[in-house]
Amino acid sequence: MDWDKIVQLLVNGMTLGSVYALVALGFSMIYGILKLLNLAHGDVLMVGAFIGWGVINWLGGAQDPNVAVWLLIVLMLLAAMAGCGFLGVAIERFAYRPLRRAPRIAPLISALGVSFFLQNSVLLLFGADFRSYETFDLVDVEVGISWGPLNVWIIRIVVIASAFAMMAGLWLLVTRTKLGKAMRATAFDREAAAMMGIDVDRVIAKTFFIGSALAGAAGILVGLVFGSINHFMGFNYGLKGFTAAVVGGIGSIPGAMFGGLFIGLSEAFSVGYIEDLTRGRLGSAFSDLVVFLILIVFMLVRPQGIFGKPEVKKV
Amino acid sequence: MRKGLIAASLGLLAAAVLVTSALAKSEATATPAQLAACTNVSLGFVGPLTGPVAFLGQEQISWLRFGVQKYNAANRTRFKVTPGDTRLQAPVARTVARRFVSDRKIMTVIGPSESQAVRVGGNLYEKAGLAAVSGSATAIDLTKGRPYTSFFRVVPNDGIQGPDIINFVSGQLGAKNVVVIDSQDDYSVPLAGAVSTGLRRKNVTVSRESVSVDDTDFSSVVANVGNDVNVVVFATQNASSANTLSNQLREQGKKAIVFGTDGAYSPSQFKPRNGYVSVFAPDLHFDRNARAIVREYNRYSKNRSFGSFGPATYMAGLVAMTNITRACRDGSVTRAEVTRLIRTTNIPSILGGSIRFDRKGDLRGGAFTIYKVTNGTYSPAG
Repeated sequence: MDWDKIVQLLVNGMTLGSVYALVALGFSMIYGILKLLNLAHGDVLMVGAFIGWGVINWLGGAQDPNVAVWLLIVLMLLAAMAGCGFLGVAIERFAYRPLRRAPRIAPLISALGVSFFLQNSVLLLFGADFRSYETFDLVDVEVGISWGPLNVWIIRIVVIASAFAMMAGLWLLVTRTKLGKAMRATAFDREAAAMMGIDVDRVIAKTFFIGSALAGAAGILVGLVFGSINHFMGFNYGLKGFTAAVVGGIGSIPGAMFGGLFIGLSEAFSVGYIEDLTRGRLGSAFSDLVVFLILIVFMLVRPQGIFGKPEVKKV
Repeated sequence: MRKGLIAASLGLLAAAVLVTSALAKSEATATPAQLAACTNVSLGFVGPLTGPVAFLGQEQISWLRFGVQKYNAANRTRFKVTPGDTRLQAPVARTVARRFVSDRKIMTVIGPSESQAVRVGGNLYEKAGLAAVSGSATAIDLTKGRPYTSFFRVVPNDGIQGPDIINFVSGQLGAKNVVVIDSQDDYSVPLAGAVSTGLRRKNVTVSRESVSVDDTDFSSVVANVGNDVNVVVFATQNASSANTLSNQLREQGKKAIVFGTDGAYSPSQFKPRNGYVSVFAPDLHFDRNARAIVREYNRYSKNRSFGSFGPATYMAGLVAMTNITRACRDGSVTRAEVTRLIRTTNIPSILGGSIRFDRKGDLRGGAFTIYKVTNGTYSPAG
């Protein structure tokens, strides 16, 4: 047993999984409250990544930033979260709210339209070139934990820690605050919540703000740890985040966290071991096969996901 | 008598000079009346303008438009560019091919940029007699066996790149243990396969890995790279991915260096501490003779960065426009005529040497160049 490789894959999977979990949380929150699959969610992540890139360059670039590195990362996170939060509110206001009473397919098509709109807007504004955070200039790869042949770069630790902190913060917000209670009430029964005096439109807008802010933060974490960003990156993260939300139980916050980590680890370990396990018949190219096989199995065996509850309809 | 003879001789000489110069002029450029036939002629660009490798298509079309503007100004022509976005998807490329074939204004296709787009659209162009001149489709099979009769490329094919990489990695780098990674597309899988087979024949231990074309994280693939691996050959169309791979190798303390194939060539995006990259055309930034055109392009594009994809497509456009202009001399132009003339092309190239095609449409005398990259700085290595 190659323990170094296992631990390395664990770190890689946790990093990837943290990002998926943040995306899955946004999917879950929006689905929970509106029963809408926000297909543009991955593209909001992409916009967040570009906001972060803008902040890095505005503050002097990665090679010679005008502020301390930790402050730079905090400012990038804040800017991306605020920017994406307001973007999410705008998307809800103009693309989804007018269709709230329309058949469910209409907002889905609208979401697809928003996704293409965001992708092409960024393509138009920033061009098609990949943009680099130059994180390896910002923080040397040798800074981190080095234990025998195992190396964990400090940025990976920052990514995992900040993702967990944000997940914990969201958990507290949903379970311990008045807004969280209003969100849960709206998700449970929108009409009843309105009758109880909850401003449903405002709660939905705030949910979009929080979900999109998390996607924006995920965009920054992707840029920091993997280095490069482009207008097309949201598609992949959106797809994996959606898979994570379904596996964890769409609408469930702990489910999204668990689903994200589960998908991230599955992906990392399947890349690492699929060839050995299939005696060379399948290579790392098929890691996505494993991820989506998991999705299919869950849809067949437990369609409500691990933490989801089966929907009961009164007749 | 003698005076009369001299005067007659001078008159004849002057007439001969006039006729010769007129003929020579018509050989070089057509008259405005003749060019009237070409006023409504367009070059159809086929390449990925959006999607995961949009940066390649955008660089190519930018250079093509630059070339068209330059050519029109110098020759009083009015060529236009019609963009066709493949999004790096074969079915979309086929739709673009259908559209271009039915658009009578399009006299030549510039591209397709990707080999897979040639495979799905090549027979349509062939049936329509429409020439396709590519600046980057390098797969060997496109001109092997029974090639498409209307397909040409201004860059050498992977039949040259593969052996060059094999010889360099096993010979000059002396690698004994190599990992070869493809990016699951029509360009990289055959190339990675050919490199793996060739290296094994040279007694090099080879492991194969594969990543998706839109992957941004390779850390789990890197975990599979042993500490005894010397070189990772990455067949990719994405220079930024090659850069991430190189950084993640360092992050995990691996000693292997990255050797990127032609798609990885980009001094602005692939900047490893140590690495190599091969490319189908020399980089104009290193060519003293190309200073003027680089300056001109920088002015045109407002200093947009570029690698080798753009200049090669500029040459593909020049091949097309030169031959359409030749065809226009008789006042009319047909696709078949243009295709026939392209076969006889012989024009100097900004990439060095001249552009001439063999009977299968491949560039005669093409060669790949290998660059060494040290701390992000490129220098020719072989």
